[in-house]
Amino acid sequence: MTTPDFQQSYFQLFSLPRQFALDNTLLGERFRQLQGQLHPDRFASKSAHEQRIAVQYSAFVNQAYTTLRRPLDRAFYLLQLAGMSAEEVSAEKIDGGFLIEQMELREKLESIADLVEPETVLEHLILEIAADIKAHEQEFVAAFTADDISGAASACVKMQYLGKLHREAEQIESGLLD
Amino acid sequence: MPHENKRAVGIDLGTTNSLVATMRDGAAKTLADAQGVVSISSVVNYTDPQRVRVGVEAQALASEHPADTLASIKRFMGRGNEDARDEAHRSHYALNDGEQGMVGFETSSGVVSPVQASAEILKALRSRAEQTMDGTIEGAVITVPAYFDEAQRQATKDAATLAGLPVLRLLNEPTAAAVAYGLESADEGLIAVYDLGGGTFDISILHLHRDVFEVLSTGGDTALGGDDFDRLIADWVLTQIGSPELVAGQHRTLLSLARDAKEALSESDDILIPLGEIGTGFDPLSLSRTQFDALILPLVKHTLRACRRALRDAQLAPDAINNIVLVGGSTRVPLVRAAVAEFFQREPLAGIDPDEVVAVGAAIQADILVGNRPEGELLLLDVIPLSLGIETMGGLVEKIVERNTTIPVVRAQEFTTYKDGQTALAVHIVQGERELVADSRSLARFELRGIPPMVAGAARILVSFQVDADGLLSVSAREETTGVRSSIVVKPSFGLSDEQISGMLQASFSHAEEDKNSRILAELCVAAKQLLEGLEVALAADGDDLLKPGEMDALRAQMEKVQAQLTGGNVEALRTASDQLGRDSEAFAARRMDKSIRQALTGVSLDDVSEEVSE
Repeated sequence: MTTPDFQQSYFQLFSLPRQFALDNTLLGERFRQLQGQLHPDRFASKSAHEQRIAVQYSAFVNQAYTTLRRPLDRAFYLLQLAGMSAEEVSAEKIDGGFLIEQMELREKLESIADLVEPETVLEHLILEIAADIKAHEQEFVAAFTADDISGAASACVKMQYLGKLHREAEQIESGLLD
Repeated sequence: MPHENKRAVGIDLGTTNSLVATMRDGAAKTLADAQGVVSISSVVNYTDPQRVRVGVEAQALASEHPADTLASIKRFMGRGNEDARDEAHRSHYALNDGEQGMVGFETSSGVVSPVQASAEILKALRSRAEQTMDGTIEGAVITVPAYFDEAQRQATKDAATLAGLPVLRLLNEPTAAAVAYGLESADEGLIAVYDLGGGTFDISILHLHRDVFEVLSTGGDTALGGDDFDRLIADWVLTQIGSPELVAGQHRTLLSLARDAKEALSESDDILIPLGEIGTGFDPLSLSRTQFDALILPLVKHTLRACRRALRDAQLAPDAINNIVLVGGSTRVPLVRAAVAEFFQREPLAGIDPDEVVAVGAAIQADILVGNRPEGELLLLDVIPLSLGIETMGGLVEKIVERNTTIPVVRAQEFTTYKDGQTALAVHIVQGERELVADSRSLARFELRGIPPMVAGAARILVSFQVDADGLLSVSAREETTGVRSSIVVKPSFGLSDEQISGMLQASFSHAEEDKNSRILAELCVAAKQLLEGLEVALAADGDDLLKPGEMDALRAQMEKVQAQLTGGNVEALRTASDQLGRDSEAFAARRMDKSIRQALTGVSLDDVSEEVSE
């Protein structure tokens, strides 16, 4: 199995600026343009070798698209381009205040089923978490633009914590709705 | 390149009925038999070892020979004996303890696998198509439920191979349905495809943008469908009449009465079930639509839960959906339509027959893939329905490719040894959303050997997963410090091995050795010519641009070697030369891909986007 050796970054692949702010519509358009050329279905009646290479290229474009489309993955990727591995990012120190907030949010979430009107409370909680995520995205952008890589990494880890909490809250919500 | 159209078909291999469609006079149409019936009952009878019967003919023998008459075969595709036991018991089939835990039905003609039985249905469809189209089928798109796992997809592909059908692509049924509608109404936006067939339920959320369909998420249940509605009615009837013991044949009759009742209740509010057909002493029983609705409500709610999950995976609210496409005969049930409309707050589309829409979409896609249309017309980007991972310490699953990831996909993850001096690593590939291996589906195992002895944790073993556009998986493992590698194309534990397939093919053709050789030679010749033609076109377009003169000469020389072997009649020499040419041309093909990436984005100037901040 040969893997296509792309020297270019995912941002270069889609001709987009290397930054956190992203034009999602443009990303989607360019993604579809590229897949229009590279997808293995375009090679369905070609030789097996061409098909195999198309799978590799198409997979690379998919990977790039998925990474850039999700804010958290995009943040991790920007840090990676700045020379920081995922492990290094995860090892970044987080201030105690944030961790206490996290524990409080989590406790709220765990006791939600006992409430009289869990749906309403949960809905508010989900909105609160989503707003928190946005705030830390801004924190990330500010630090990253100022070349404060360690600060950006710390914001990234916080986004990760909150993202996990957000998913759990949504799962509980779907459980309540069922 | 010849301009005449190639014969391509779309096949909906269904649990209850199967259909074949093709492009005729610019429109996709299902092909009917002499009586004008488009669907073939997905039933195969093995009572006469000399003659396998398919369709209505087989159905007619169901009551008399229940164990020989296989229906709902799709439910057994790619399933192990353990999975299939309950299902078989309900259908009154005798299961044989097949090799590798594979399902085998005991029939009067010997043990039959679900793959073989499905192949019989595909053969019937193939011969119908070849008669109508007057020639050999050159390519087929076969649809599978989006929720089909690896093993089930592989089993479907095996059945097609066995039936002598060249598969262009396995296509998810809901995607096919959207293709059928998408091309006719040229919609843009978000589409939910609600597919309640005889034996499976699928919900897919698709994004249509210009020529590209993107599957955002899928969900469903491979063991829920209209058959369950029939079963609920049958169970209800049994309770009402005091649960008498029925023999297998009587049970079949009851199920068929239940089906008639279900269909009649789509039109009437009240019906009478003629239980006298089961045997003497049974009186007719009345059933109202209200009663029926109450029976099936839990199942309908179950489908809506899956809809909610799929929407969440796509991060959408129900009212964001622009169009709902209904697929499958069970969507004719009024309660189902009403529940779907209420959930999405919108009336579903019903312009195309819900029983034919999948085959119609598959035919359109087959026409494109076989090369009958100019390129760039329509592209389907699918996702994998279930997460793929490997077993780690303590029986836990480490997910490597998450469900709903767009395919094709290549993902790699690094692992290490956990004992000093460990020289081998067992890789166990599993599928599913659960955290424990015990709760997941085992797909395959292989071993990476020859790791040099090191202290625990020093080896760096990279495990790569590659899923192609059909959703089929290959896995490789490599120890990074030494480059020792091992790989496997995942042939799920319950599928057929290549040897088994070729064995069956040989048995079914019973050709003499020379015949077999000449067939292989003919196939090789076709492939080699295809490779040569493709390269000629590529060289003419990009050869001067992308190849150094030396490279061009080397490639030309190898092309001549292949050309020379085309008429030589030597299987091995042709194979060796073709394989070599394939490898030699890989770098050139890769450069062409790079070039087409650059070209795809021409008009996009890098200066435009250099430093500006866009939102």
